[in-house]
Amino acid sequence: MNSERTGGGITRRLLALGATAAMIVSACGSATTSPSGSTAASISPTSAASEAPSAASTAPSAAASDAGYTGPEATISYSIWGDPAEIKSQQAVVDAFHAANPKITVKPTVSDWDTYWEKLKGSIAGGAAPDVFAMDGPLFPDFQSRDVLLDLKPYIDKEGYDLGQLADAAVADFTTADGQYGLPRDLNVVTLYYNKKLFDEAKIPYPDGTWDWAKLVEVGKQLTKDTNGDGKTDQWGLYTETSDMENYWSSLVWQNGGDIMAPDGKTTVLGTDEAAGGIQFLQDLIWKDKIVPDPALFAETGDAFEQGKAAMEINGTWLVPTHEAAGIDLGIAPLPKGPAGLATSINPTGAVVFKGSKNPEAAWAFVKYLSSPAAQTKLMELKASLPANKEVLAGPYASSFVGAKVLADSLAYAHLKPSFKGFEEFASILQEELNTNVFLAPNKTAKEALASVVPQLNSLLAGQ
Amino acid sequence: MTSLRRPTTRQGSPLGHEGRWALLFLAPTLIGLAVLSAGPILATLAISLTKWDLLTAPQFVGLDNFAALMSDDRFLKAMRNTIFYTVVSVPLGMAIALGLAMALNQTIRGIAFIRTAYFLPVVTSTIAIALVWQWIYSSDAGLLNQAIGLFGIPSQRWLSDPVLVMPSIVAMSIWQGLGINVIIFLAGLQAIPTELLDAASVDGAGRWARTRHITLPLLTPSIFFTGILSLIGSFQVFDQIYVLARPKPTEATITIVYFIYENGFKFFKMGYATAASWILFIIVAALTAVYFRSQDRWVHYQ
Repeated sequence: MNSERTGGGITRRLLALGATAAMIVSACGSATTSPSGSTAASISPTSAASEAPSAASTAPSAAASDAGYTGPEATISYSIWGDPAEIKSQQAVVDAFHAANPKITVKPTVSDWDTYWEKLKGSIAGGAAPDVFAMDGPLFPDFQSRDVLLDLKPYIDKEGYDLGQLADAAVADFTTADGQYGLPRDLNVVTLYYNKKLFDEAKIPYPDGTWDWAKLVEVGKQLTKDTNGDGKTDQWGLYTETSDMENYWSSLVWQNGGDIMAPDGKTTVLGTDEAAGGIQFLQDLIWKDKIVPDPALFAETGDAFEQGKAAMEINGTWLVPTHEAAGIDLGIAPLPKGPAGLATSINPTGAVVFKGSKNPEAAWAFVKYLSSPAAQTKLMELKASLPANKEVLAGPYASSFVGAKVLADSLAYAHLKPSFKGFEEFASILQEELNTNVFLAPNKTAKEALASVVPQLNSLLAGQ
Repeated sequence: MTSLRRPTTRQGSPLGHEGRWALLFLAPTLIGLAVLSAGPILATLAISLTKWDLLTAPQFVGLDNFAALMSDDRFLKAMRNTIFYTVVSVPLGMAIALGLAMALNQTIRGIAFIRTAYFLPVVTSTIAIALVWQWIYSSDAGLLNQAIGLFGIPSQRWLSDPVLVMPSIVAMSIWQGLGINVIIFLAGLQAIPTELLDAASVDGAGRWARTRHITLPLLTPSIFFTGILSLIGSFQVFDQIYVLARPKPTEATITIVYFIYENGFKFFKMGYATAASWILFIIVAALTAVYFRSQDRWVHYQ
């Protein structure tokens, strides 16, 4: 085909070039079918000088954390889930580690929750998993039982590392009969937040350690109002979520004397009256006492408490930074006690090492560092979780912001979020039933709903 | 009959000089298809016969996965939801697109801008669209509830009520997918010779008669084409469910592809998920075959 050089030849070529460039740009930017949308940010460490002196000098007990790494130069990859903005704070920890251990370079990456697990499983299947990665307590058994995590016990025994320096329940989550497969990095508990301004306006005393279920309902009713007379509630006494046991029906089950799993972890005991009673309390808060909004109402628009539409919120400690950023005059109190006493949920996040890591010693050095006071104080500053290190928890953390002491003290009555093989599928089946028939619409009582789903859950557990 | 000699070139190769160049240019795509598509697809057939959790070695289980799927309540619900989605969104979407295309088939000023406006949802990210529609459907103060409130109808929980949620998602998807079908129909409409329409109106045919007897029959190739694309696409619906059915699809909203994703990537049941994807493939292939066979009956090619 002959190309015709006409007067518009040059223009046509430029247009073609521009169109091609536009196509390439749009192809790069187009949304593919959803799951693969991670933000993987890999940043190489900045020069050592910036963080080193302050990190070393503020570390109260430097002994175990700076025990020298004697291996060759190594580069290890560190993968976590979180907000993309967290990469900055993780980078600070990584830089401090590099300063203390110049032979090890750490490359951190952050993804959102869903993408994180897809990428992790895919990379393990492909044999190229990150050396160190974050592990959620409940999902730990699924990974450990499939032999993809490195047993850290040999390193712990050789160095005489004291596991007692970390919160006991958190350590137990990563311990098995034959070894220690990770160290806890931080913890999350569930607590009661309250809006001081709304309490002051209604002249009601703030929540404290004496509150129980009846008091919660009583004050909740006083603070649930239709402020503009249109027949619809505009201010709710309490806001909480219902789609995950952690926030907050598992605490209610424990406060009522029930439990979720049997002691041997092989069957579920949600069918008992005590367990059903805890979940029934939450259903009543929504549909009988009407102090908690219908979960559908704020599902799309977000946290009612942050919007100033709820006087109290019962939710996890990961919300502290966002509540503060929303400008709420925030107060923190212990959860109201139930008929069987105080209880809350504790969920540790741990750092684990991939079994096939090419640099296990370097990985262990980093995992150890993450739980050391130096790193824990840095992570603590984010306020998004509690430190796992007992010394930091009792000392700097408890006085780091108003309410921190309440959170630190709640560990004394906290129950571990259930952790077992098949957790994700179990939770999916259970929540499907609870969401559809107990929380979003009161089609069944808690006891009826649980009775209909417990057999299926038990056969799922039996098949693992 | 004398046998035909295969034409040869100066080089003596039966493919010919141009044929070899054609093969060379086709090679990247063909190799890509073989290695990146056909290879993995055959691998999934093998995986569907195993029990595999991605992290340990697969175990051969034969046809157990397929048998288990037939009695899996959630899978059957996913099928039901996907079929509902297809049956409602495909015909409705095509009908609305056809109407729109006829309306847009004019040469008034600004028609190019209006056509672009209708095409915008197609090139907008599903997440962005879903966020806007979440706000429209919001039970609290969403636009839709405010609108029906003007007529005295009480607020509905569009995305939480098991009966309303799937139709709500279907509505959003139809709106999003209109643009593509409109463009194809527009092209088809513009290919209809105006002499035929003029001759018909001279003979006294009204607008509806012209549409029924000339436009629609001549548009059947476009209808066939958009039909097959919409059919295959709607069986694979995932994006809209993933973003609108928050936090997790329930029995009212789960679709086959989400079921596959959930089992493969969350429940450590990759073998099971691949078996489900092969069942989806067989269903879509069967429907496509039937659809193609029906061509002779109703598609008029010029």
